[in-house]
This record gives sequence, C-alpha cells and structure tokens, in this order.
Amino acid sequence: MTSLAKRLWPDTVASRAILILVAALLAFHLLGYWAYRVGVENLATAGQDRGLAERIVSIKRAIASLPQAPERDRVAHDLSSASLEVHWSKVSLVLGSAPVTERTRAMEARLKELAPELAAESFRVGFADDGALGAGEANAYKHMMLVSVRLDDGSWVNFSSSALGASQHLDWGLTAIMICFAVAIVVVALLLLRWATRPLRDLAVAAERFSLDQVLQPLPETGPVEVRRAARAFNTMRERIRNLVTERMQAMAAVSHDLRTPITRLRLRSEFLEDDATRALIDADLGEMEAMIDSTLDYLRGGTSSEPLRAVDLASVIETIVDEHVDQGHPVSLVGLNSAPVQGRLLSLKRAASNIISNAVKYGQTATVTITEAGDSFAILVEDEGPGIAETDRERVFHPFVRLEESRGRQTGGSGLGLTIALAIARSHDGSIALENRAEGGLRVTLSLPKLERS
Amino acid sequence: MDQAPAAATADDHGHILVVDDDPQIRLLVARFLQRHGYQVTGAPDGRAMMEALAHSAIDLIVLDVMLPGRSGVELCRDVRATSQVPIVMLTARTEESERISGLEGGADDYVTKPFSPRELLARIRAVLRRSRAAHSSSAAQTSAIITFDGWRMDLRRRELLSPSGTLIDLSTGEFDLLVAFVEHANRVLSREALMQFAKTRTSDDPFDRTIDVQISRLRRKLEADASGGQLIKTIRGAGYLFASKVDHQQGQLA
Repeated sequence: MTSLAKRLWPDTVASRAILILVAALLAFHLLGYWAYRVGVENLATAGQDRGLAERIVSIKRAIASLPQAPERDRVAHDLSSASLEVHWSKVSLVLGSAPVTERTRAMEARLKELAPELAAESFRVGFADDGALGAGEANAYKHMMLVSVRLDDGSWVNFSSSALGASQHLDWGLTAIMICFAVAIVVVALLLLRWATRPLRDLAVAAERFSLDQVLQPLPETGPVEVRRAARAFNTMRERIRNLVTERMQAMAAVSHDLRTPITRLRLRSEFLEDDATRALIDADLGEMEAMIDSTLDYLRGGTSSEPLRAVDLASVIETIVDEHVDQGHPVSLVGLNSAPVQGRLLSLKRAASNIISNAVKYGQTATVTITEAGDSFAILVEDEGPGIAETDRERVFHPFVRLEESRGRQTGGSGLGLTIALAIARSHDGSIALENRAEGGLRVTLSLPKLERS
Repeated sequence: MDQAPAAATADDHGHILVVDDDPQIRLLVARFLQRHGYQVTGAPDGRAMMEALAHSAIDLIVLDVMLPGRSGVELCRDVRATSQVPIVMLTARTEESERISGLEGGADDYVTKPFSPRELLARIRAVLRRSRAAHSSSAAQTSAIITFDGWRMDLRRRELLSPSGTLIDLSTGEFDLLVAFVEHANRVLSREALMQFAKTRTSDDPFDRTIDVQISRLRRKLEADASGGQLIKTIRGAGYLFASKVDHQQGQLA
C-alpha cells in the first residue's frame, strides 16, 4: 500500500504547493462555514429562548392575576399555543430534583433577567429527556422543555415547549455555494501555482540537457529570485567544469607532445646500436610509446580533428586497413559493397575503423568485415570469434582507459582507448557504434555512418 | 622488425640541410645520414637555414615544422619563392592540417615525428630520385594534378578522387603504383619495370607483396567507380597496361 501512496503523493514543487494551499484554503473555508452555522444556531436558539421566556412570564402574570381556580385553568388553556402548552395545577410538573444542564441554566438566567420578581425557588426548568419528570410523565413530554412556575398561593403553572433548536435540515443553497467555492479555489490554485513554478521547471529541464560536448548554451536567468540565482550558479559551475576539463586536457596534450622529441632522439640513437636484436626490441618499445601518445592525443581531441569534411569512400578505407592486416598475417577477411561514399574526415574514419578491426584481431583471433547498407546509412560489421562482451560491460567498454581483461600490458591489452576514440569519431560523423554478441559466439561491432547525400 | 642496417647505395649522395631546433636531433640525424654517404649541414632556425642556402649548394632540406619564430610551413613557402630545392617536412603525427598546408606550401614529402631514421632515409631517397629524374627528363614535372577518365590525382597531397568527387583511400604502395601507371600510360609495362618505378617510399618493406597482389588491390579500389574496372588491363605474358588518356594540370584539387 505504501508504494501506491508513494505514487499518489505529489512530488513536484507545484503540486505540493497546490496541495498545501488548497488544504489550507479548504480548511479555512470549512471552519468558517462551521463557525457560521454554529453562530447562526446559537443566535436562533437564543432568540427563541428569549421569546419563550417572555411569553412564560407574561402568561404567568396573567394567570396569577386571576383569583379563581377554574378561571386559571381556562385561561391557561386559552393562552396555550402549538409551540407552548400551559396548564395550571397544584403540583409542579418538573421535579425538584431535576438535573441542571447548560440549557436549563440559560433558561433560568433568561427568566430571571426578564422577570426579576421570580425568586430562585419559584420556578424550575427541565428537559423531559434529561429525566426531569416523574416516571409516568416522561413519554408524553418526549423532546420537550418544561418550565414550572409557582404562584403565590403555592399552585403551579406548567409550561411545556417542543424541543428547540434551529431546523436541522441542511441548507442546500448554502452547501452548493460552498462546494462551488471549494472547486474554484482548487482550480485557481492549480493554474496560479503552475504558472509561478514554471521557471523552476524550465531550469530543471535545461539543466538535464547540459552536456560538456555541446555548444555552450547558458541557462536563461529568468523567474523569481531563487530560480535566477540557481540558474546563475549553475551556469558558473558549468563554466568552471569546462575550464577545468580543458586545462587538464591541455596539460595532457602538452605532455604527450613534449614526449615526441626524446622519443625521436631515442629512435635515432637506436640506429647506432650494433646489436640488431636489441635494436629491434628497443624500436618495438618505442613504437609502443608512440602508439600510447597517439591514442591519448586522439582521445583528448574527442573525435574532432582539423581535417575538413569531404566525400570519402569508406570502402576504400576499410580495404586499406584489411590489406595491412592480411600482410601482417592476421586472419582478416572483407566482403560486401565495393563503394560506400560518406561525408567525413579520412584519417578519423581510418582511425575508428582500424581500432575496431584491431580489437577483433587482438581479442577475437579472427575478423570478418562486412560492408553493407541499411536505409540511409552504411554499416560496417566486424565479427570475431572471441569471447564476446557481456551485456553488463557493453557500456563500460566505451569509457576511456577501460579494458575488460585485467592486465595493462599492451601485448594482451591495449590502452583502453580504442573504442572510446572510435565512438567519439563515429558520433562526430553523426554515426553510431553498436555491440552485440553473435549467436555463434564472438562479438559483432556495427559501425553505422550516414550515406553521403548527393544533390 | 628484424632488418640489417640499410646499406648506402650508389644513389646516396648530396648535400642535405637539416633544420630542427633540437641540437641533439640535428646531430643524430646528421650522423645517420652521413653514415649513408650524405653531406649534412645543420641549422637551428629559419635565419640559419636561409644563410646556409645562400652559401652552399643544398640538394635537399629536412625541415621541422615546429620551429621557434617563423614556422616551418612559412619557411617552406619562403624557400619555394626562389628555389625548387626538394623539401621533406617533419610534422606531428596528429596534426593533419599542418601537413596539408605544408604540402600545399611546396614541400615534397613529409615524415611524422617521432620517425624511424630509415623512414626518413627512404623518403629522402625517393624525393631525390624524383627530383633528379625530373631534372634529367625534358618534361616539366611541375604538374601537381593528373587526370584520367574523370579521375583526379593530386601528387602533392597524394590523394585520388573518383569521377564522382569521392576521395578514394590508397595505401602508400598503391598510390606509388598508380603514379607509375599514369606516368607510363598506354604502354605495356612488365612486372619488373613496375616494381622499379613504384619503388615504395617507405623503408625497406618487410612484407613481400608481389606486384600482382598490389595491382589486384589497386584494381579493387578503382572499381569503386563503374569506369574503374577498365583502367588496368592485363597483357598476358607481357605485363600490364594502363589504358586512359592522361592529362597533367597545375593547381590543386577542390
């Protein structure tokens, strides 16, 4: 149940604000209505009680003024009405031991106020329901209020009135208005708050779209003060991050560049070594270092390059790469299209394809390269017979310096930048790279690039 | 790569000017080239280079693009204004724009740093060979563009464009082979002749690719365009023939 509650619980600033506002407004609305009704009821009740007290006093006076018993009784009946019955008798209807309640007190106070001549003992007030009467009388006077007033000669005038209270039925008109107001409150709150919190929503959306690679689009600094400050802080932070990243990359690039000179010197010096075997090994090591520098610098450029975009035949690029591998004795084969014109940078495309094919040879023993087309793109498929890549690793392999096997040795490993660079290059050409394991075992890497549009 | 040190050949002669701001590199390159029969002078910057050019007969300049002061690319242009002396540039491997502007500025070839000395030697030999051949032949080999059947070759930038304007990537050997074909178009060429003409400008190739394999690869690349299949014809028993009308042009490819 709690997960359902979680789903229903409002999560946005606007919806929470709306909830609070509506709840508060409705609470006040209901409180006010209740207070109004209670007030109206009290007023009505007080008015009725006042009227009743006045009538009791005047009837008592009228009856008291008559000397004879039968007269008193007849006048009592004459003065009765639907809402107030009057009887004269020698005994009091209301028991002396009647319980005292709020209302009886109020009634007593009212009577005393209107007829100060009534002494405290000369009248009694009670409610039939409260047990103010004797056992036999209670049923006849259900829901009634009774007042018994003693006359000077010891006889009593008994008044009985139907239970008072404001009419209990709902005032439908008032209720309808109340519901309309409640609905109006909710609607207005909704509209106003959504409008007021829009800058915040826009900020959140723009922040999500932030990416270091793309053109710097500063967040608009609009809206209420807090939102503006947040946007400004975000823009500043983004600027700082960009600068930080740029500095680091420049430092890395500088180091890599500077390494070239000592490596060149070593290359030259190795020429003068008499021992062929040692020279060959030293040259191989130097080659490794050069490759690391190249791949690091390529990675730092993020797939961009100073080469201009041109119409390049991708098939010829792949053919050159495959031929080189074949010459080195690697089992690489090529099938498919003879021609695949794309818009791109020759050396970058070469680098990307070469990295992918080298990976296949290194980790997959063999590589079968296929050039095909799919819709408005060309697809280069490189399939190997290696272990493939587990689903969980497929995202990681594109991260820089990540290699799936543990050693960092170049013979078995590599710098971990091959796929990173290839993906960056593919993206900078509006293309993509997909990885999947073949049913027969091994990995299939698909490099897709949009076809050249010929006008 | 197990190789015997490259032996000095009869062609290795000449005065080479090495322009690099690193004194160790100047020294080492000089020693290396001297071992192979060249006379070498070193210069640390553009000013020294100009002085050396003024005072001696230089047969080839090895020019580093990353020089203090005036850059190698600009110096290359300066030299070209008054002289056709062959120039081999030393560039950074990842700066293509440098290389392209260098080649367009008049350099004959380039080697990327860090370079293997043999690589440099092979380039120097290739460039000297071409330049000497150009001097000895009557045809002015200053054309930069060669066209045939809608195809265009830029000899400076070593690029091939198909008739549809698409750049076709060729390996070093394939490009040299195609150059050999177009320079001797419409004539039957034996395998031996082709191997001689298309001597690769990279260092002694450890991979023994037969000329037939090279030609079949070149054919496949040319077949990217429908017309390409007709260009290289096999003449049974004699060799190959490049069948096309070839034109030489100045200027640059688009």
